[in-house]
Parts: sequence; structure tokens; C-alpha cells
Amino acid sequence: MRKFTLSCLAIIISLIFGALILWLMGKDPVAAYMNLLQGSGLMEKAKYAARQNMFTDFMSFIDALTPMIFASLAVALALKGGFFNIGVSGQMLFAGFCAHMAAMFIPSKIVVVIVGFIGGALIGALIGWLKCRFNVNEVVSSIMLNSILMYLITFYINTFYVNPVSRQSKAISEAARLTLSRFRWEGLRIDIALAFPLAIIMALLLHWFIQRTTYGYEIKASGLSPQAAYYAGMNVQRTALMTMTLSGALAGLAGVSYFCGYLASIQPGVVPSMGFDAIAVSLLGGNNPLGCVLASFLITVISKGSIYMSSSQNIEQEIASLITAFILTFAACSAIFAKKGRK
Amino acid sequence: MSEPIVEFRHITKRFPGIVANDDVSLSIMKGEIFAVLGENGAGKSTLVSMLFGMYEPDGGEIWVRGKKEHISSPRYADSLSIGMVHQHFRLVSNYTVAENIVLGLEPVRKLFGIIPYVDMKKANRDIAELSERYGLKVNPEDVIEDLNVATRQRVEILKMLYREAEILIFDEPTAVLTPQEIESFLKILEGLRAGGKTIILITHKLREIKAVADRCAIMNRGKLISVLDVKTASTDEMAKMMVGHDISFTTERKPAHFGDVVLDVQNLTVRNHAGFEAVKSVSFQIHAGEVFAVAGVSGNGQNELADSIAGLVKPSGGKVILNGHDITDSSVREHIQAGVAYIPEDRHNVGLVLDFTLRGNFPLRLYDTPKYSRKSLINYAEFTAQSEKLTAAYDIRSARGGETIAREMSGGNQQKAIIAREIDMKTPLIIFMQPTRGLDAGAVMNIHKHIVAERDRGAAVLLISLDLDEIFDCADTVAVIYSGSINKISPASEITTDETGLYMMGVKTA
Repeated sequence: MRKFTLSCLAIIISLIFGALILWLMGKDPVAAYMNLLQGSGLMEKAKYAARQNMFTDFMSFIDALTPMIFASLAVALALKGGFFNIGVSGQMLFAGFCAHMAAMFIPSKIVVVIVGFIGGALIGALIGWLKCRFNVNEVVSSIMLNSILMYLITFYINTFYVNPVSRQSKAISEAARLTLSRFRWEGLRIDIALAFPLAIIMALLLHWFIQRTTYGYEIKASGLSPQAAYYAGMNVQRTALMTMTLSGALAGLAGVSYFCGYLASIQPGVVPSMGFDAIAVSLLGGNNPLGCVLASFLITVISKGSIYMSSSQNIEQEIASLITAFILTFAACSAIFAKKGRK
Repeated sequence: MSEPIVEFRHITKRFPGIVANDDVSLSIMKGEIFAVLGENGAGKSTLVSMLFGMYEPDGGEIWVRGKKEHISSPRYADSLSIGMVHQHFRLVSNYTVAENIVLGLEPVRKLFGIIPYVDMKKANRDIAELSERYGLKVNPEDVIEDLNVATRQRVEILKMLYREAEILIFDEPTAVLTPQEIESFLKILEGLRAGGKTIILITHKLREIKAVADRCAIMNRGKLISVLDVKTASTDEMAKMMVGHDISFTTERKPAHFGDVVLDVQNLTVRNHAGFEAVKSVSFQIHAGEVFAVAGVSGNGQNELADSIAGLVKPSGGKVILNGHDITDSSVREHIQAGVAYIPEDRHNVGLVLDFTLRGNFPLRLYDTPKYSRKSLINYAEFTAQSEKLTAAYDIRSARGGETIAREMSGGNQQKAIIAREIDMKTPLIIFMQPTRGLDAGAVMNIHKHIVAERDRGAAVLLISLDLDEIFDCADTVAVIYSGSINKISPASEITTDETGLYMMGVKTA
């Protein structure tokens, strides 16, 4: 509860700071913030293009929200187990790439999900194994893997799998894509994120797994005090491996819902920034799976809504990143306050 | 010994939830040895920490040499010639003695008149001279990590003297020393007093106060109870004031009835992290209903011995047999299942998950058993029931009962929680490693009672301690470990404290 209050406080202070900057730029902060809600389909816009309304905006927002939930869960689980998984981006990319490849042979949504899950898990397991076997710091190995995977995948896409017009990878077939794109309904065209229910289920499942199972108890104990966990008879190394594998698997789901859902293709040469935003989201959510869902919602409102804000108010879209950065800073500060308050 | 050099006037210091010092006023005379006596948590460390600038008082004034001072940092205390030896030494372990002592005040010379460098030759000379003058034997060129605890303490004292400290504060200086080392330490204190220094000694050992101190302040629960003249006060009187009620110094116990051999250790050899043989071919047996106490100076293989019998470290040779079953190579989990309870030395990093609640810590070693979980699903009702049962039975006090985060609890209650958890496992063998370190007299008595109660239940008890009073309070059999070998095993009734001390120093071997 205390954590929740502090997170809310971090958000409020950040919004005030953001408003101050908007005001100094000579913009209307209230209108700008309303644009964020409008752009996310949470408030009615003044006018809509053909076949669009508030509901279609909201569904696009959900489409962007889905991978963020998975990614923040990946970070939160790793942190519970005492690991800082800064490589969610690389795991997303690898899982998305594997799913693209698999979908060329079997264009099926189920296959995409399974391959993404396994692809991410493999990278997570590799990081966990390096940690257990050679005591390689997971921050170092995961950030290195981000680059290694990105360049390998970029090489492959540019050589064998490029769409010469868009200069992105080829698009995944609609049969395998996890978002029903521009689905016709009641005269509207809606993007439906099919993985969204899975994201909510995963959050609930993860919450239950951490709180209610002996595995969750082991993960928490190993994360907070490896020596005490060892003394308790736990297999600390196996727990570490399991934590990172599951974290990677969740990142994999983020990857497929991003590259094979929200987007249909992979942009070569770029690591998705969502993997890093997810760290902020997880911190803001207090590393609690349900908190992660709420925090993902908020951060996605800001990032997704900023597109509309920038077009309607002529405000640079980077302001949204700035507010997110404020939130991260204050959330990190509040984590320190929470510790101090206890002492 | 005429004018007061330090005066505390109506000092009050609060920490969240407690008043550490409540309107304490006392004055310390120049050139005396002034002892501050009290249980853990009585506020004695807090009081002198304020003199050393580690905390600032919430109310009241500190006067030094007749001047009101606002001591805001240890650096400022340093400028007032106040020095402190902390309970945990603050030395750079891969530096030499001289380098440690001059650190921050290095004698500097200039190469070619411009490039400054530390003149270690001068430093070594100065320190040799200083150690000569005060009779503190050290070699300035020895590296700290090669030195024993008593020598490191001398280095800490020299560090203060090098800074020309006039007021020397010692926080629990003898906690880590053997009886013989304590003797020579007390001689050092007397030498310093003869040299005109003022000494403030924080301790809860009455014998030492009686031996060297001139006056003694007694504190209890943050309040100053009394300031006594040590020559005229009796030990019993001081003890009574310290705890606030009468205490008996020895645990009452029935004669032991040994049963069958429970633990049979044969030629056990354990290597430490560096690959060095920390325990060398040790053999002994513990019977049911026996407290087998291992005495020894810190760092003679006690940790490795306890860890290897509890299964945390794999021995490199020998056998550990529990009730006829070889458990030498079993995992930690298998040791727990076989029936080895273990109270580890490090209660913060090993014994507890500090950021878990108290409730979450009780099932730590048995969470995988059917009592607490079925098919990997945790039974929280049982967690809560166990927490309620143990907090009541062992009088474990905390702010919010089972929901308290273990980190927020006092050291004594943390230790009680660990002991409660391990005793409740009702195992045939229970290992107590330094069970009362840093705890106050009341808590120590309580834990000793539990140790003896475990024996009377018919458990084999292995007690490893640096504290000889503790050993002789509980033991049926005393063993002495020196440099990784057990060089004496004797029934407790047939060996004296002094003799044990000689074995501990390796002066005598059986």
C-alpha cells in the first residue's frame, strides 16, 4: 500500500513537472494532457477520420499496451529473483525474429506464440547459465546480447528477408499475426490485439506463481538473500536459471506481440526501446505483476497519446519521453524513500 | 583527575520508535578510565557515538574541555583530539600497519621539490617509536590481513595515538579477545592512563571494569541509572543495576545423561575458499543429551567446521556420520531432512531473509515439507499458525507480529526467531554457532536455557563459541580448536577457564 502511494506520488509530481515545461514552452498543459487521453481512446476527440472513433483509438491503444505488459512482467520477475534483466529488448527481438521465421513455414498464431515463448526463454536461460556457470554479471551479458542479437538479425534481414520498399523485414502473414489489423466491424476498422487476454492472464498467473507457490518463495528468497536461500536448502543456481528462463520467455511474448502483432515487421539495426521502458514500468509498478499492468497502462497512455498530442498541439513528441523519464526518476527515488521509511 | 574533560548535559537522542538516550548527564574527568556499562540497546554506544560525531543529540549539550561543542562529524571530533576504536575494526586489510596508521595524515616529501610522495620511511620510524613508547608491540611493515585480532586492535590504538588523541573511546574492545589477550589489553589501558590519556570504555563485562576502571556509569533502557566508584562498588551491585533486576550468572542445569552417539565426526578435513585446510583431520563424537562445546579464538576453523557438519560446505576429507548414516556428501536439504538444525553465526545474511516478514522466515528450512506446502502450493494458514505459535512460545517481540519485516527487528529478537525455528524442528543434532554474539545479558541467559533444554530433551548439541563464559555455562564436554585442529577434549568439570585459554592460544597441546 505504501509502495502504491509512493508510485502515485511519483506520477503526480512528474505530471506537474511536465506541465511546467509545457507551460514554459508557451503551450497549454491541460489541453496537452487531454490530448494524451484522446490519443489513447480514453476521451472523445473533436473529429475523427472515416471508419474511426474513440473505440478504434482505444483498441489501438490496447494493441500497444499488450507487449508493454509482457515486457514489464519480464523485468519484474527477474528483479524478484535478484536479476536486473536489461536485455528484454534483445530477447524481444530474437523471439520476434524466430516467430517470423517459423511463420514462413507454418503461418499459425499458436506457433508464433509458442516459438516466441521458447525463443525468449532460450536467451534468458543463456544469461542465467552464464551467471551460474561462470558468474558472468547478468547486466553485462544481457546488454552484450542485445547488440549481438541485433546485429545478427539485422544481417540476416538485410541479406535474405528485406522488403526493398519499406527497408524493413518482410511482413508476417496475416494468418500468423497476433493483431487482427483493420478488422471490419459496424462500419469501423479496428486493430484487435489477440494477445491482450494472454497478457492479463500472464500477469495474474505470475502474481499467483510468486505469491502462492514454493517456486515463488524460492525465487524471492534467492533474490533477497542467496546465502540464506542456500542455507534453507534451496538450489540457488537452479532457481536463478529458472527465473531468467521465465523472464526471457515473458520477454519473448512481448517480442511476438510487438513484432508479430502491433507491428508486422522488424526494423533492422534497431533495438526496441520498449525493453528499456519496461524497466521504468516495472519500477513504477513496484515489481508487482498487477502493479505492472497499471503502470504499463499509464506509460502507454503517455507514449501512445503523444502522437496525437504532437499533431494537434504542435508539441514535440519527445515531451512524452521526458514525462516518462521524470516518472522513472521519481519512481526510483521513491524506492529509496520506501527503504528509508522502513528503517 | 581534577577537571572534567567531557561533559554530557541533559543529552536526549531519539530514533524512530525508541528513545536511545533519555536526559543523560555525566562528566568524565581528565586522566581517568571511565566505563559505560549496560546491556545491548541500553544506549551506551549511542551516547559515545555522539561524542565522536557519528550522531548529533536531539536535546542537551556536549561540553569538551569546558567549552560547549557542536560535534557534527568524526573529523571534527578528531580536531578535538577524540579518537575511537570501533567494535569492527576499520583497517584496510591489504595495507601495512604503518600505511593504515598514517592514512589521511601521511608525512609528505617532495621529489625534486615538486612531486609529492608519501615518506613511508619516516612513517615506519615514527610508528616504531610510538609503539615503543606505549608498549604496543607491532611491526610497522606487517600487512594487516596477516595479523591476528589483538594486533589489529593495537594498530587501531596506535592510529588514535598517532593522531594525538587525548580522549580514547573503546567500543566493546574485548569481545573478540582471548583471556590472555584481555589481560594484556587491560595493561595497555593502564599504560595509556599513566600517559595522561582519558579513556572511555564501553562494555558489558563487569570483570574488566572491576580490573581497570576508575568510575563507571550504568545505563539501562536509555537512562543513566547511576555513576559508581568502581573501587567501592561490588560486581553484584553493578550487575543488578545493569539489568534492572537480579540475575544469576550460571544457567541452572541438571546433571547430563549421555545416550548413544548421535554425531560421529571422523578425520574431517575442510578447505576454505582459498583452498587452505581450515579444518584438519578433526575427530569427535557427540552423544544424545550432551552439550559438546568448541572453544577457540576467532578464525581457527570454527565456521568451516560448523558449515561442513550442517552441509553448507563439502568436506575435502573424512566422514560425518549422523545416527549411523553417512551424511558427509549430502546436500543442505538432505542434512535438514536427516535432522541437523543449525543456528549460523551470521544471522543477517545466512540465518534470515531480512526482507521477508517474520512469518515468512519461520518455514525457511522446511517450506518444502508437507506441513507448509502440497504439490508446490504454499499453505499460508500453516505459515501464520507457526508464526503465532513460535512468537508466543519464545517471546519474540516485534512491532507488527508476524507481519514485521525481519530487518526491522532487534538483533536479540532476530536471533530468538532463528533459534525458535531451529529448535522447533526437533532434530537429533542441533548446532549453535556463536548464538549470543552481540546480545544483552537477559537474552544470553534465555538462549543458554534453550541450549540446556535441548540437551535435556535428548538432542546432541554442538555449541561453537568464542565466549568462554558461554562455553562453561553450557558445556558438558569442552573441546578446543586451534589452527584447524582440536587439541583438547575434556569433560567440562575437569578443565579450567585459564587452562582452556592456553589451549586456545596453542601454548598447550594435548
